[in-house]
Amino acid sequence: MKKTQPHRQPKRNQPRTKVAQPETRAPRAAGSQDISRAQRNHIAQLVELLKEHNLTELELERDGVRVRVRRDFFPSAGQPISWENAPAGQVAQPESSAEPTPTAEVPGGITVTSPIVGTFYRSPSPDADPYVSEGDLVKKGQVLCIVEAMKLMNEIESELDGRIVKILAESTKPVEYGQPLFLIAPASAS
Amino acid sequence: MFKKVLVANRGEIALRVIRACKELGIRTVAIHSEADAASVYVRAADEHVCVGPAESALSYRNIPNVLSAAEITGADAIHPGYGFLAENAHFAEVCESIGVKFIGPTSENIAMMGDKAKARELMIRRGIPVLPGSPGELRSESDALEAARKIGFPVIIKASAGGGGRGMRVVNKEEEVVRAFQTAQAEAKSTFGNEGVYLERYFLEPRHIEVQILADERGRVVFLGERDCSIQRRYQKLVEETPSPAVDDRLRREMGRVAVEAIKAAHYRNAGTVEFLLDKDQNFYFMEVNARIQVEHPVTEMVTGIDLIKEQIRIAAGLPLAFRQQDIKLSGHSFECRINAEDPEKFTPCPGPIFRYHQPGGIGVRVDSAMEANSTVVPHYDSLIAKLITHGQDRDEALARMRRALDEFVIEGIKTTIPLHRRIFSDAEFQKGRVSTSYLERFLANHPVNPAH
Repeated sequence: MKKTQPHRQPKRNQPRTKVAQPETRAPRAAGSQDISRAQRNHIAQLVELLKEHNLTELELERDGVRVRVRRDFFPSAGQPISWENAPAGQVAQPESSAEPTPTAEVPGGITVTSPIVGTFYRSPSPDADPYVSEGDLVKKGQVLCIVEAMKLMNEIESELDGRIVKILAESTKPVEYGQPLFLIAPASAS
Repeated sequence: MFKKVLVANRGEIALRVIRACKELGIRTVAIHSEADAASVYVRAADEHVCVGPAESALSYRNIPNVLSAAEITGADAIHPGYGFLAENAHFAEVCESIGVKFIGPTSENIAMMGDKAKARELMIRRGIPVLPGSPGELRSESDALEAARKIGFPVIIKASAGGGGRGMRVVNKEEEVVRAFQTAQAEAKSTFGNEGVYLERYFLEPRHIEVQILADERGRVVFLGERDCSIQRRYQKLVEETPSPAVDDRLRREMGRVAVEAIKAAHYRNAGTVEFLLDKDQNFYFMEVNARIQVEHPVTEMVTGIDLIKEQIRIAAGLPLAFRQQDIKLSGHSFECRINAEDPEKFTPCPGPIFRYHQPGGIGVRVDSAMEANSTVVPHYDSLIAKLITHGQDRDEALARMRRALDEFVIEGIKTTIPLHRRIFSDAEFQKGRVSTSYLERFLANHPVNPAH
């Protein structure tokens, strides 16, 4: 599958940024060239501008070149779990497995993703301490968080021994299927 | 009115519902599987939630995830589209119980219409003409034999829970009854998990005519003309039109009256379709009620000017129908071609990337599709990628418009049914409106694409 988004750095805790690239796909106007280094820098500046001012979309036309950059606020749409390893231009398609993939290996750790749609909670109750914090060592089977769905509290357990590198979702906020929740460095690798 | 509607579907029908919501000022939530994350309809919605992996049982049919998506986004109603959870009585019931309005018939309506034998029994009690057939489900081989002898051959054995041609067997002679009964039962059990089958008279060269109805929550019912869906291949509709060339004003009123009666008898709510079989002598017989909005609903919209999806939403919100039967006027003629990602000769599915995509336009042309250039037809779902609809002042104009629109349609990268539609619309018999449900099989047999091979 041809994705409309180019490869991105694996920054999962930030709003996704995407650079539309119709100009490189559509039949090119006479005299137009590949993206130059200067243009690339220019686009990078636009992306920064977008983040800085919390915009979702920005379009600029200059010297016959039109650039549009946009980003989505709702995290993780369009991203299959193991996207880092997906070959360009292909959607990683877990072949109809009965169980959703709860983890995916990424450089520096394993991403624990939400197996269901619901609300993410880091602690068992509003006053309680969180199940885990960044830097904590966790054991396989240890509860990491709760995803509440239809009034049911679903405890999400660690699939491995390791250290919590990063917590990727915000407590009390909704999460969708496949959304990354934790980055865990396996015990053997640390 | 609802504040936010979650659309529990994908592709063109999801986009269709989102469009209706936007025009009504309602916010929208799209759900999608991982395979559909980049789809047009997802971008069209105000919010979107990934509900699972590609496999529909784990995403679009995953009731806990779909309801959680409604919960976390605060949607107050769910439109199911067609397919997936649209005719799942349990889903409709759960929606009702958690206070999210299901935009469609009640769970009781769905359960009743989903059981074909029960629906038939109800219609018989109300004096509605049904196909001559067994009084209920067949319990044994001897039951089947007795019923077949009484009705007269040929007969067809159908699954009670069936649809789409699965679990059906045509029987021409007495000696074939027992075996057909056994295979139909086995097929019904393996496909639908319910081995109940029944038997009906089988008509040669009938037409499939269906009547669109709308029923509000106060029980007021109107019909919006008929659709002729006779162009089918293995019970899959390919071309639909309204009005039917075989139905005159008198017959239309009569079918409409019977359809309204059937709907009232079932205390049915929201949009629905009453399917009839029309024989050569203009006798019509009730077949079933489709408890959902149908794929081919746009042709009715084109000739009535009524937005059926908006009406569904208004009815679900408790509003009374804003028009009466006498206000509904049919104007002109409309055709719909189902553009499927299929080999136009072998009918094998043909998923893959679309490199170029150009939709036809101009007066009287409508395309309902969620495809675009540089998108992909994924292999996990049905093969319908676009519905091409034309409207003209009369049948000839709508037909000519369809021919030119088919010529304008560009989809490169995958095979589609467009070449087949071009051939059908150039066929003299079709142009004269002389069709039946056997038309397409015969047309394909008589018009091989490559006679040399």
